Amino acid sequence: MNFNRSTKKETYIPTSSMGDIAFLLLVFFMVTVVFTDESGLVVTLPRAEASEEGLRDLISNVYINEAGMISIDDMIVRSEDVGQLMMRKITENPFMIVAFKTDKFTPYGVVSEVMEGLKEANAVKVFFNTDMEMPGLAF
Amino acid sequence: MGVLAKRKRIRGNSEIPMASTSDVAFLLLVFFIVMPMKSDEIGISLMLPGKTNKNDSAKVSQKNVAVIKINENGRILFDGQPIQLKSIQQAIRERVQANDKTVVILETHPDAVYGLMVACLDEVKLSGARKFSLKTTEL
Repeated sequence: MNFNRSTKKETYIPTSSMGDIAFLLLVFFMVTVVFTDESGLVVTLPRAEASEEGLRDLISNVYINEAGMISIDDMIVRSEDVGQLMMRKITENPFMIVAFKTDKFTPYGVVSEVMEGLKEANAVKVFFNTDMEMPGLAF
Repeated sequence: MGVLAKRKRIRGNSEIPMASTSDVAFLLLVFFIVMPMKSDEIGISLMLPGKTNKNDSAKVSQKNVAVIKINENGRILFDGQPIQLKSIQQAIRERVQANDKTVVILETHPDAVYGLMVACLDEVKLSGARKFSLKTTEL
């Protein structure tokens, strides 16, 4: 009847290495974090209630500031060249979504010209970045 | 005896507690996992019509069209009548209820500010209108 004795032995999970595991994961996640490497232009986004989230991986940013300067991939481009540039970008990524990070005081004409360029390049999925507006809150 | 006891106590305390290192590590770990999830891509998504010839762009009967016009002074007109930004949503809802073939056209003057156009687009989205298109006033 020696069976009982052996089962009584206390079982435990060793936790002393938990900190090591945690640090390992920590280092892994710190290394793999990708920070956006695009500085863009300074813009104040408009506010909208119907805002939704966009897929970050597919998004390609177009910054347009108050003065109507257009920045794509940290390059200042003229509105006439947007079509060409986007054509190249959409062949690299056919599911690309173009996100407009446009200042709320930008004249609409500039945005319209950029959109014409996008239509030319067949980059039809667009996204107007906004700040979230809480319903019922005045702005 | 009193002196000895004192010494012992001092020796026993000279140790950094390591039990909470894993807690600290996990805290940092959670922080680094959650941080990239925080999406700054919030906005309104839209599909542009893409490359179209003048001939095969969709023709819509005049009576099924609701035009929201933003002029260069920032005034909003709904079918030619001045309207408040907040009333747009209700006006479109009524229109769509009366005629479910209604297509909303958001026509913006190139000199109008982008923020106003987004505000109107927001209202159109909130009204639940399925068919709408953007247009730029031709000069």
